[in-house]
Amino acid sequence: MWLAFLRNRTAIAGAAIAVLIFMTAIFAPWIAPYDPLDQDPIFRLEPGNQEHWLGTDDFGRDVLSRLIWGSRISLVIGFASVLIGMIAGTALGMIAGYYRGRVETLIMRGIDVVMSFPDLILAVAITAALGATLVNLVITLGIVMTPGFARMAHSALLSMREREFVLAAQSIGARDRRIIFKHIFPNIFGELLVAATLWVGVAIRLEANLAFIGLGVQPPTPTWGNMIREGVDVLINAPGISVYSGLCILVTILAFNMLGDGVRDMVDPRLRGI
Amino acid sequence: MFQYAMRRILISVPILLVVLTLVFVVVRVLPGDPAVAALGDQASKEAVDALRAKMGLNDPLWLQYLKFLGSLCRGDLGTSIISGFPVAAQIASVVPFTLELTFLAVFLGYLFGIPLGISAAVRRNSFVDYFNRVFSLLGLSVPAFYLGILLILVFSVKLRIFPVVGGGEFWDLEDNLTHVALPALALGMMMTAYVTRMTRSSILDIMREDYVRTAHSKGLSDRKILYKHVLRNALIPIVALGGLYVVVLIGSSVMVEIVFSRPGLGKLLVGAIKQRDYTTLQSVMVFYAFLVVAFNLITELAYGLVDPRIKYN
Amino acid sequence: MKRLAHVLLVSVFMIGLLWGLAGAADPAKDQSLSIAFDAGDLKSLDPHRAAATADRAIVDMMFNALVRYPPGNQVKLEPDLAESWTVSADKKTWTFKLRKGVFFHPYAGNPNGYELTSEDVVFSLKRAANKDTSAYAGDYGGISVDAVDPATVKITIDKPISDPLFLAKFANYAGGFIVSKKALESKGEDWFKTNPVGTGPFKFESYEPRQKVVFAANPKYFRGAPVLKKVTARFMPDVSSREFGLQTGELHIIEGLKEDKWIEKVSTFKEVKAPTFGPCETQMLYFNMSIPPFNDLRVRKAFSYALSRDVIANFMGKSLAVPIYSPALSPPALGALTKDEALKAGLVFDNNIELAKKLLAEAGFPNGFKTEVIISEMSSSYQKPMVAIQALVRKAGIDMQLKVVDHASFHSKIRENASPIVYYASWRPNEDVFLTQFYHSDSVVQKGKKPITNFSHYGLVDANGDGKVDSVDPLIEQARLELNAAKQEALWKEAQIQILKDVVAVPVIRLKYTFPQKSYVDLGYPLEWSWQTYSPQITEKTKILAHK
Repeated sequence: MWLAFLRNRTAIAGAAIAVLIFMTAIFAPWIAPYDPLDQDPIFRLEPGNQEHWLGTDDFGRDVLSRLIWGSRISLVIGFASVLIGMIAGTALGMIAGYYRGRVETLIMRGIDVVMSFPDLILAVAITAALGATLVNLVITLGIVMTPGFARMAHSALLSMREREFVLAAQSIGARDRRIIFKHIFPNIFGELLVAATLWVGVAIRLEANLAFIGLGVQPPTPTWGNMIREGVDVLINAPGISVYSGLCILVTILAFNMLGDGVRDMVDPRLRGI
Repeated sequence: MFQYAMRRILISVPILLVVLTLVFVVVRVLPGDPAVAALGDQASKEAVDALRAKMGLNDPLWLQYLKFLGSLCRGDLGTSIISGFPVAAQIASVVPFTLELTFLAVFLGYLFGIPLGISAAVRRNSFVDYFNRVFSLLGLSVPAFYLGILLILVFSVKLRIFPVVGGGEFWDLEDNLTHVALPALALGMMMTAYVTRMTRSSILDIMREDYVRTAHSKGLSDRKILYKHVLRNALIPIVALGGLYVVVLIGSSVMVEIVFSRPGLGKLLVGAIKQRDYTTLQSVMVFYAFLVVAFNLITELAYGLVDPRIKYN
Repeated sequence: MKRLAHVLLVSVFMIGLLWGLAGAADPAKDQSLSIAFDAGDLKSLDPHRAAATADRAIVDMMFNALVRYPPGNQVKLEPDLAESWTVSADKKTWTFKLRKGVFFHPYAGNPNGYELTSEDVVFSLKRAANKDTSAYAGDYGGISVDAVDPATVKITIDKPISDPLFLAKFANYAGGFIVSKKALESKGEDWFKTNPVGTGPFKFESYEPRQKVVFAANPKYFRGAPVLKKVTARFMPDVSSREFGLQTGELHIIEGLKEDKWIEKVSTFKEVKAPTFGPCETQMLYFNMSIPPFNDLRVRKAFSYALSRDVIANFMGKSLAVPIYSPALSPPALGALTKDEALKAGLVFDNNIELAKKLLAEAGFPNGFKTEVIISEMSSSYQKPMVAIQALVRKAGIDMQLKVVDHASFHSKIRENASPIVYYASWRPNEDVFLTQFYHSDSVVQKGKKPITNFSHYGLVDANGDGKVDSVDPLIEQARLELNAAKQEALWKEAQIQILKDVVAVPVIRLKYTFPQKSYVDLGYPLEWSWQTYSPQITEKTKILAHK
């Protein structure tokens, strides 16, 4: 299984980039040459130079430092929201799929309600209602991610519950919880993991979109989404800001997509190379 | 099948009702006062209070809720509490733009995506395949608004080929098409990426099916197998899934509409949020839900039509 | 298959290209002007409700008033719908003679329009005074309007006020605009909301929500038919979109950023110029004296000393920002305290960190203090200056946290008395309005009789620590009733001096605006001041010159 992963060059590249971004995020305080909030009223919107490699923004803040710190927020949002969505969605989906009956109807119709809105529209509405803070954004994107995981877990469980090993476990009197956690969950985990990897990218992109509309984490906190927004406003003076932050987002999402493809090949060898 | 459709529509009714309630609640939770937003900072407290009363915001919440449901039942989407324009007319004036954009993007996606996907599948692991994978991953990764800005910089600002402001006159074909070209391309890139990936994996899946192997063993040429057996079976479901893509793109079109200052549902929604325009906001949200439910149903039925294995009961 | 795809791909692109290249008409012949505002949408087409910059500019094209501020140089008033006026010796009765041959725009039910009479003026001014139909009803208390004959209007006021103050109420600003009585009476208020009927150079044609308002020339305009045949006002909240449009020539005039480096850059675009104009907005920092520690004069003074207007003005850009020293409107407004006067009175607390620290220590904060301030997301008017101020006061040990909220929430929150400091950008038609709204005790948020924008609670609290409530209410009221313009100005200045003494607010900067435009657009007047639309006015003389 791991061999399959290692043989996949794109996946390796994706993983390598992801690790690099992680390191950047973790060691941001040591890597960043300046405080990302430090302003310099005199050297504003400067192009790249020896002191500020990527120049300074509208407030005279060091763009490189902000990009480095911004990786934290993007990753936190990407991972935390997918984690919330995965835990909540999987739990709901599995409960619905395992108990059937009214519980199932209630949960799955609830999921239908949430899915009655396009992702971005839902995210925009919830963020606007809750107020745009980091925690609220994570919650919002978590809610947006939940139905997908729920449906996936639900259908995986339905196909699973009639399988021999589950029936066998039931016949020897194993308790529900034990069956779910010991027998069913490990079997659908791979599929969930693939989706999760891909959706980290989706979450990061949604955050960028929200920031562009003005519903991202509020300034002056540096996030890549915010920086694109601010960069577009000063596009003619400092085109670099939006280009660099856009590239950061692009590369990160790309890395997770590549990684996701690789993980899928690993989990489901039948689909290798697809 | 007709029966099935009716049943699905009936199931959708309670869902839409819950959606309505949810929308109503979310809209009221929005921080900020629409009366202050409407009158601006110079208005006196009296004027603000008077306007609040006029907007119906001083009614108890349950009454506002009943009024909202009541007028919706009568098919009345209300009037904007800010500008006084009927919401239905506002939506009607922008929906053609949004649908045009999304349909065109889906069309472009199929137009580019299917040939790309086929060529990648046929020459698996070749340079073409590799290029396609990178290209489609890029398409999935680049935010649509970012691509939009790049397109503007190249095609409008530098080359001066396409306009950048607004959506043009909808019924003036030339004006319309020049205005929609770049936004559709920006969204279409995303769609192309989806379709390319889907096409490729779908074809590879089918190539492994028993009947294809049988065809090979019968000695049919690769070309013939590809066209007679594989493509047909691989592409039909992809095309039938178009409705789902429309849903995805209707959501993403917001970004493109903003970048190109194009009229559209998304722009209406974001504007309504910024202005705390409760009536417009809730009606637009409801309309989105309606569109999604409708397109999901269409997709489901279309899929059933092309896949005889699915039975409606 | 692949070949087919290639053919299709190439042909789609070719068609697109040809289509794009084909459309090229002569723009100067069209005389169709596009102006883009930094706004998401229109809020109101009703002149008695219009408040936002874009709305004011839009109603200004469609409506007139009895008198007007001349376009581009809005210091003195001149006749508009009234051709002349007289005032009684006691200044209680004003008689306006209406201009002849002024026609309302045609509307459904009256396809040729009709001639303006005193009936319309009386109806409009009563409408402006009614709080159900006007956001400016408060300006017309104690005023009655009567028609003497079809061409004469008599306006009486219970408590006479000085000429400039009186006439300002009937100028082309806010409640002064004259609307069509017949249209409103026959069609109703709701209809009028979306079908404005006025007498101005341009008539309303269509409105697309969140997109644009389109106007057509009014050939019967009493100053002569406009040169422009069509005007499109667009709502484009993204500055980059506006820039793109200006670069491609799809837009002729765009609302600019208040950012000097941006202006510099825009001016380098082909055929684009970006003149700045005033007065536009005074940015003031109001201390909320109901929230400690800002109830302490020493703390407020320390905060003032920690600031440096010059640093902030430099930060905002020298071509745009002018340091100010008056806590109300600054020069050239009538009755505004000048820098010299403030200096002479010893009331410029600026740029002295040592003194700031000393005062803080005296007030019991030797190590400074921490405070959280709510500000709007709007960049140049709120975030940028506040961020600069944040950095400046940090040197004095004041840790000012900024809580950024969207603009609508900001306006609600500060009216709920939720912020210990309110940074506010504004301009008002005259010192009376400004002083009343920001410093009169009636205007105190939540607690006043007519709460508006007195965030500091001045007039209800003891500002200087002598145990008595401090107030400029008497000065404001006395000035309002003063009929002699010179004496009135002196009273206003006295009020400003007292406000500075009590350190109720810190005057920071006045920020000018810019609306970059294609150099081949001739506004028809030199644009120096615009304090009634905050934007270039599109008049009957505005035109597009021949160009490539």
